[in-house]
Amino acid sequence: MQNNPAIVSVGRTKFGEHYGKKPEKLMEEAWLVASNECNLERKNLEACYLSDCFLPITNKLGLEEGFLSELTQLHVPMEVTSSVSAALLAACNAIKAGTYDTVLVGGIEKMTDRWDKIRDDLMLLEDPWSYYAGCTPEANHELMLRAYMKKYRITGDDVEKLNLALAKVSVKNHAHALKNKFAQFHRRITIKQVLSARKNAGKPLGLYDFAPISDGASALILTSANLAKKMTDHPIYVLGGSSATDFLTFPSREDLTGFSATRNAMRKALKMANLSPLDIQLAEVYDQSTVMELISLEDLGLCEKGTAWSCIRGSCEDYDGYYESRGKKIFVNMNGGLKADGNPIGATGGAQIFEMFKQLRNEADESQVLLNENPPKIGCIQELEGFGTKAYITILGDK
Amino acid sequence: MSSEPIERRVSYIGDCLRACQCGICGKEYFEVRDYCGICGRKSLGKMRNISLFYDKGKLELCTLITEPTNKFRKLGSYIYGIVSFHNGKIKVPGRITDQILKKDEIVDFSKIEGREVIPRFRRRYSVGASEVIPTISLAFTLADEYYPYQEYKIIAPSKEYKLPGIVGYGVYTSRFRIKENRIERAVPFIDEDSITAAVEAGKFALIHSAIDSASIGKVYVGSESNPYSVKPIASKVAQVLRLGEEVEDMQAVDAVDTEFACKAASSMFKDAASLVNYPESGIQYTMVIGADNSQAAPRGCPGGELDAFVGFGGAAYIFGKADVIAEIEGWYSVTSDTPDFWRRDGQPFPLHGGRFTGDPAYFKHVKKATTKLMEKFNLKPEDIDYFVTHQPNPSFPVKVAKQLGFKEDQYSISLQVNKFGNTYSGCSLIGLAAVLDVAQPDNRILVTSYGSGAGSDSYLLRTTNQLVEKRKRQKINIKSQTENPFIEFVDYTTYRRLKLGM
Repeated sequence: MQNNPAIVSVGRTKFGEHYGKKPEKLMEEAWLVASNECNLERKNLEACYLSDCFLPITNKLGLEEGFLSELTQLHVPMEVTSSVSAALLAACNAIKAGTYDTVLVGGIEKMTDRWDKIRDDLMLLEDPWSYYAGCTPEANHELMLRAYMKKYRITGDDVEKLNLALAKVSVKNHAHALKNKFAQFHRRITIKQVLSARKNAGKPLGLYDFAPISDGASALILTSANLAKKMTDHPIYVLGGSSATDFLTFPSREDLTGFSATRNAMRKALKMANLSPLDIQLAEVYDQSTVMELISLEDLGLCEKGTAWSCIRGSCEDYDGYYESRGKKIFVNMNGGLKADGNPIGATGGAQIFEMFKQLRNEADESQVLLNENPPKIGCIQELEGFGTKAYITILGDK
Repeated sequence: MSSEPIERRVSYIGDCLRACQCGICGKEYFEVRDYCGICGRKSLGKMRNISLFYDKGKLELCTLITEPTNKFRKLGSYIYGIVSFHNGKIKVPGRITDQILKKDEIVDFSKIEGREVIPRFRRRYSVGASEVIPTISLAFTLADEYYPYQEYKIIAPSKEYKLPGIVGYGVYTSRFRIKENRIERAVPFIDEDSITAAVEAGKFALIHSAIDSASIGKVYVGSESNPYSVKPIASKVAQVLRLGEEVEDMQAVDAVDTEFACKAASSMFKDAASLVNYPESGIQYTMVIGADNSQAAPRGCPGGELDAFVGFGGAAYIFGKADVIAEIEGWYSVTSDTPDFWRRDGQPFPLHGGRFTGDPAYFKHVKKATTKLMEKFNLKPEDIDYFVTHQPNPSFPVKVAKQLGFKEDQYSISLQVNKFGNTYSGCSLIGLAAVLDVAQPDNRILVTSYGSGAGSDSYLLRTTNQLVEKRKRQKINIKSQTENPFIEFVDYTTYRRLKLGM
C-alpha cells in the first residue's frame, strides 16, 4: 500500500546520566541526528508524536509539545504519549489514514534529575493499592518469578539452574552493550557478580537483574512508503503494529506468569504483517528485569510457555550471540536491552527501534547480526508501559 | 502534602477492605463497584457488598522488600506478596507486618507461601508530622502466629437482663515486648499507634459479643496518646468497624473521644450502660474503648521515669441489656483538681509530680471511690471476689489493695502491668479483662480506675452464666497474649524506635 508507514531515519542520545543537560537539549540532540540523516527540512514536517512518562514530575514540564515547538520553531500538531511505541503507533495510523506524509516521532526522559524520589514516582505505573501495601518497582518481577516457578514446578536443582539462566540474561545483555556506543553501561559483568548481588540483598533478584534509571532521548522520522525512497535508499517498513491493555492491578490478573497484553498485541501485529512468530529473526524485548526477558520470549511466542528458562540456559551454555528456540536462532536485545543500554522510560522504545532499524539496514557495525551472511529481514519490538498493563508490538521489515 | 480527598477515599475502602460480589455470576472484586465486569449492565443493582476485614486470606506468593520506596523506609525490610480470599476468587496485594527481619536473614518464601493470613488495621506509611495519618488493612499477620483467626459470627441474643452490663470485650496488644527488671511491657510495632489498637480491640470485642456491628449506637474512645490533638479516634473506629447502620458513606452512630488521663475510657462505662438503659434512646449496644501507646520521655530526660513502666495496647467493652456477661450494679466517682501528671498541648511527652503522684493523688482517689462504693452497697472486702484497679506500676495497685483490705487472691489476677506495662487508658480495662477471662458466674468484681488530674470511678459488677458460655468464642485473650510463643523481645533502642512509630 502506498500509505504504508516507513521509517527513514533514526537518532538517539547516549543513555545514562546527563547531569549537565536540560531535557530539551537531549531532545534536540536526537532530533538533529534523525533529521540530518534523511536531509529533512523542518518545513516538511507536518506533525510530531512525542512521548515522555515522567517529565511533569521529574522536571516540572507539563507541555513537552511547547518546548519542542520553541526548539524547532514549528507550530504543527504535536501530541504526547507515554512511550515511543505508543507515539509510533499513533503516527503510523495518521500516515496510513493519509493525514500526514512526514512526521517526527520522539521520546525523552530525565529520570536522574529526581534520583532520590524516582522509585516512588515509578510506582505511578502500578496500581495504588499495591503501592499502599508496600510494593516497590522491583517486587512484582520477583512475585512473577515465584509464580513462574510454582506454575512450572521448578524445584530442587532446577531452581539453581533457573537462577543461573536469569543471571546469564544479564551477563549477555551487558556483553551486547559493549558494542553499543550509546549504551549506559560499557562494562562486562560476570555471573558471579549477578549472583552475589542477589545474595547481598537476600532476594531472588538483585541489582544486576534490573534495568537502571536513565536520562536520554530518541527520535525517528516516519513517512509513507511512496515518499520514503525519496528520503533514503533503504527505508524500514512498519509491517505490523498493535497494542493491548491489561488490568492495572497485577494481583487481580488471572495469569501471573506472563502478560496477556503482550500476547494480544503480538497476535494482532503478526496478523497485520501476515507473519508467524517463527518469522521473527530479531527481537528487542522490554527487559526491565531479567525475568521480563524470560517472560517476554514466551509471551511473544518465541519460546513455548514454561520453556524459555531452559532455552536461555541451553543457549547461554556457550553463548554465540543468540538464543536457540525450536531449532531457530533468535537474536534478542542486541543493543544490550534495557538492562545495559539503559531505560529512560519515555525514550526507551526509540532506542529499541533505533537498534532494529540499524540491524535491518546492515548498519549495526560491531553488533550486526548476520544470518547466512545476510542481515536479518524481520524483527519485532516489544515495549511495555507499567508492569504489563500496556504492551506495544511493532514489527519492522526491510521490505 | 497528602491529599485529604484521596486519603478519605482510600481509607474508606482500604481500612475495612470493602469488596463486592456480582449477584449474577458470583465474581468478586476488591473495592466497591456498581456493576460486574463480566455481566455488564444487567448486573447494575445486583452487586453485593462484602468485607474481607473479618476474613482470613492465604498468602499466595511473596517476596522480600529490602529497599522500600521512600514513605515505607521506616519499616525496614518486610515481606510483600499477593493474598487471596475465598479460594482465590479475590486477590489483593499485602504486606506482612509484625516482623523485624534481621539484616542478613535469609527468608525461605516457600515456608511462608500458602499460609493463612489475617488483615490487620495499621498505619500505611510515613507522612509529615502535620499531615493526615494514612491507614490501611492490607497489612497481614500469619494466622498460625501471635494472633490466631477468630470468626466473627453474629448470634441473635437469647436473654434480656434487668440491669445493663458488659456484653463482650476484647483486649488487643502487640506481639513485641521489652523485658527489664522482671517486668515485661508491650511494645507496638512501628506501624501501630493508639488508633490502630483501638480499632483492633473493638474488632475483638465485636467477635466476642457476636452482635451485629450495625446495632451499636455510640462508641467512646478514651486515650491520652491520640496522635492528633484535634481529630477523633472514635470516627476511625466507627468507620472501620462499620458501627451503626450505613447511611451512604456514613455510619449512623455517635462517636466521641474522651480524655481524663488513665480513666478516660473507664469513666464512660456508666454513660455507655445508661444509654442502652434509656428506653427512648433506641440504642441496643454501646462500645467503650481505652487504648494507648503510652507516652514517656526517654530515660534521663524530664519525665523519663515513666519510661520504665509504659506499655501499649487497649481494650474494648460492649454494653447492652441482652446476653450480658457482667451486670453493672452501681458506681461511685470522685474528682479533684490535682495536677499529678499532665502533658501540655504540643508536647510529645507527659510530666508528673514525682512523690506527689502517690498519696495525695492515686491512693487518695482510688481509696475514696472504692470505700464509698462499698459503703453504698453495704459490702466488706471479703464480699468481693475480685478487685481491679489502675496499675501505673507494679507496686501501687498491690499497696492500695492491701490498704483497702483485699487479699492477694482477690487482686493478683488483675495485675497485668508486669505483662503489658501501664497501658494508660487501657490499663484498668485490661485488668478487668484478665478477671473476666477466669471469673465464674455470680462473682462480684469491684473495679476502680484512676485518672491523673485527678479522679477515680469505682464500679461494682456481678457476672452471669453467659460469661462462661461466651468464653469459647475468644481465642485471643489475656492468657494467649501473655503466654504466647510468638512474643518477640526487643532491646531498649528498638523499643524507643518502634514506639515513636512511622
